[in-house]
Amino acid sequence: MKFLRVKHLNIWSVFSFLFVLGIILSNLLVFTSLLQPPSENWQHIKDYLLADYISNTLLLITFTGLFTFLIGTSLAWLISFYDFPLRNFYKWAFILPLAIPAYIGAYTYTGLLNYTGIIQSFLRNSFNFHVNPKLFDIMNIWGAVFIFTLFLLPYVYTIVSSFFQNQSASLFESARILGRKPLNILFTVLLPLARPAIIAGVSLVVLEVLNDYGLVQYFGIPTFSTAIFKSWFGMGDIDSAIRLAASLLIIVFFILALEKLLRGKRRVESSTAKIRSIPLHKLSGYKSMLAFTYSFFIFSLSFLIPLLQLFYWSLITYSNVLSNKFWQLLWNSIFVALVATCIIVFASVIIANFQRISGTKLSKTYSKITTFGYSIPGAVIAIGVMVLFINLDQKLFWFYKIVNPESAKLVLSMSIAMLIFAYVIRFLAIGFNSVQTGFEKVGKKFFEASRTLGMTTTKTFLRIDLPMLKPALVGGFVLVFVDVLKELPLTLILRPFNFDTLATKVYQYANDEMIPEAAVPSLIIIAVSLISIYFLNKITMKEER
Amino acid sequence: MLTKRKLVTVLSILLTITLALAACSAPENAQVNTNDQENGTVNLYTDRHYDTDQMLYDLFTSETGIKVNVVKGKSDELIERLEREGDATQADVLITADAGRLYKAMEKELLQPVDSQILTNNIPQNLRDENNNWFGLTVRARVLVYSEAKTNESELSSYEDLTDSKWKGKLLVRSSSNIYNQSLLASMIAINGEEKAREWAKGIVENFAREPKGNDRDQATAVVSGEGDIAIMNTYYIGKMLSSSNPEEVKVAQNISVFFPNQETTGTHINVSGIGLTKSAQNSQNAIKLMEFLASEEAQEIFAEANFEYPVHPDVQPAELLKSWGEFKTQDINLSLLGKYNKKATEIANEVGWK
Repeated sequence: MKFLRVKHLNIWSVFSFLFVLGIILSNLLVFTSLLQPPSENWQHIKDYLLADYISNTLLLITFTGLFTFLIGTSLAWLISFYDFPLRNFYKWAFILPLAIPAYIGAYTYTGLLNYTGIIQSFLRNSFNFHVNPKLFDIMNIWGAVFIFTLFLLPYVYTIVSSFFQNQSASLFESARILGRKPLNILFTVLLPLARPAIIAGVSLVVLEVLNDYGLVQYFGIPTFSTAIFKSWFGMGDIDSAIRLAASLLIIVFFILALEKLLRGKRRVESSTAKIRSIPLHKLSGYKSMLAFTYSFFIFSLSFLIPLLQLFYWSLITYSNVLSNKFWQLLWNSIFVALVATCIIVFASVIIANFQRISGTKLSKTYSKITTFGYSIPGAVIAIGVMVLFINLDQKLFWFYKIVNPESAKLVLSMSIAMLIFAYVIRFLAIGFNSVQTGFEKVGKKFFEASRTLGMTTTKTFLRIDLPMLKPALVGGFVLVFVDVLKELPLTLILRPFNFDTLATKVYQYANDEMIPEAAVPSLIIIAVSLISIYFLNKITMKEER
Repeated sequence: MLTKRKLVTVLSILLTITLALAACSAPENAQVNTNDQENGTVNLYTDRHYDTDQMLYDLFTSETGIKVNVVKGKSDELIERLEREGDATQADVLITADAGRLYKAMEKELLQPVDSQILTNNIPQNLRDENNNWFGLTVRARVLVYSEAKTNESELSSYEDLTDSKWKGKLLVRSSSNIYNQSLLASMIAINGEEKAREWAKGIVENFAREPKGNDRDQATAVVSGEGDIAIMNTYYIGKMLSSSNPEEVKVAQNISVFFPNQETTGTHINVSGIGLTKSAQNSQNAIKLMEFLASEEAQEIFAEANFEYPVHPDVQPAELLKSWGEFKTQDINLSLLGKYNKKATEIANEVGWK
């Protein structure tokens, strides 16, 4: 296997090194000040606030994790093994909530349920029925769990259902033939088998919850991400912000370790086994009704109702909101998302290929660091990237002077490059995972054959691997694109002059207490995401066939 | 190894194109960066998001030909950004919706004094920094809101009275992480001293109708829905609710009344949206022109009419709605104190459990 040991300096290693360096630098600069003694604010935070941050954060991740597990897995089970009315529709409909960012879900449900919202005012105006407003109050920690669960559900659903469909079909059949009852099969065969997939899905959900800023900020729930913003900006105390960030990272590490531990040695392999279509078991009578109603209930809550509400608001407000400037927003959003996504896919391919062909410890570390970026909450990345870019500008000033004698001192950190760089760090893991899975699916056989037949690594990559990777690349591209489009905290802090995106506009309207006005940009984010998901689905379907 | 070299070339070209695209996309940045020192732009950081503000900037551009570049963000984030950018910043002007934040920027030496006859003539002394580091542009009062169906006006008197046990379980106010509440508490510290202010905050927490949540509008809504009796909120939100796109919200606003507290004693708490010239402003002439424009009668009238804020310019009338509430006595402190006591206020709020 000598040919696998590629010389250390080739373009793959160099580029990989550069991308990884970017991630490390921007985080390291933040953590250097951890070594300094804590400020007096830290004492105050510790005495009065920290307990709240920890308990709220833990409550949120525990219950969101639990509910997404229960609902996501049960839906995946129903869809994968049973036939009931509209089953084929629900199969992809449960992916759709992915298009609605949690913060938009939160704004929508708040506007829907509050005193001036459609439900309460309908009851009041039509039946003169005054409900206890506390019953409809969603702006608390349980409301947050409700919203997170609804809109993060697809993470668990998609991973678990693809696992069920690909891995456990034959086992399910055997168990059924041997006379086991469905629930018995679920608990004794399917759930233990699906454990790695469930844990992978729930971990993603938990990381998303930890990263969220828009929802918890709007609901006024003190968590780590709001606390980082608050102590950094509110108290002007970066030191405390970093300490909070470090505490948050400890939780993240803990979750990652827990995931590893619980998952054991198994990895979620997307489809190494031969895919056979499972003969669906037709449900009848009340069981069929039950499955249908349950699915309809979840689909309504997590997609239909918020969408209808947003449409209604858009009808009222579109004339105030739509203007030339609005098209600029759309263009901005799509443009930054496209550029960031291209870079991410490009980097993912390089790092994944480097890891594959070199297989050294170094390259494995690279891929770990790459994946780590996704677990770092946006607030933390924003701090790091800003420090890094201002440093860079100071170092590069001589160069700016050569290009343009009248150049300003800050060029990079005033440009959109800073924001795009931050997106790359944050979302590289998503692109990387898709590409890596793609590589794993392709395997090394063709690569090795091609190399034995005398092709260079690079040539092999271009002629053999790239065409086979195409579905994985497109899949990764779509996932990253949608995520960048929805991103809020990084965009809020790092955007340059005169630069708004759809997401920041939604946030702005919601925080100016104008939720109906936020509907139009929200709907467009959702629409673009939906189109992307549709294409993704089409590609994976093609692949399955 | 020809192919490898080729690939490197292709890759670097791709990378260059992406970077070039990224650079071009930063709108107007290229022009902002250089060339036009003192010829046609002014760059501002603002935490005000109102569409009316953009209207004013457009008006300014059409009158002077000076282009206004805007970065919007939360005041604290903008100040942090200014600090990091140091003397390399491109921001000429900072606008925040709170005097305390302007004071904070001044403390960090991010602002510089402006010597302008127009500004000092148009803006009363207590609404600007004593050394003219910042100037108030619009005033809002933090008032009590109640429903006449449930509460008699004669029961209301002062902020201090809200800690009385008769209001137990009836008080509505948003989170103390909100700057308006921090500044209200800071003003209590400035007027009554730290200990009294702490007791006051404690009393307020004891009388909460519910855990603080939502924004100012939500507090007014909760009065109408019956969750509580008295809400603390800013004046202009009432105007905004009355002109809301949601008819139910308009109804809420029609069902509440406004009370200006502390008329017999220390006066109602007010705050300003204000403006300051950054220390390293590169377009300071244009910046001062913009500041003077925003303090002019023309601009002040737009502020007043479109956003329901009280104009600072003594000759400009507030909107009809605000006039209908009558004139009122304001707290007689320099608004810089709101910034000076901000940190203390935040700490007290945390200590007494005002979420």
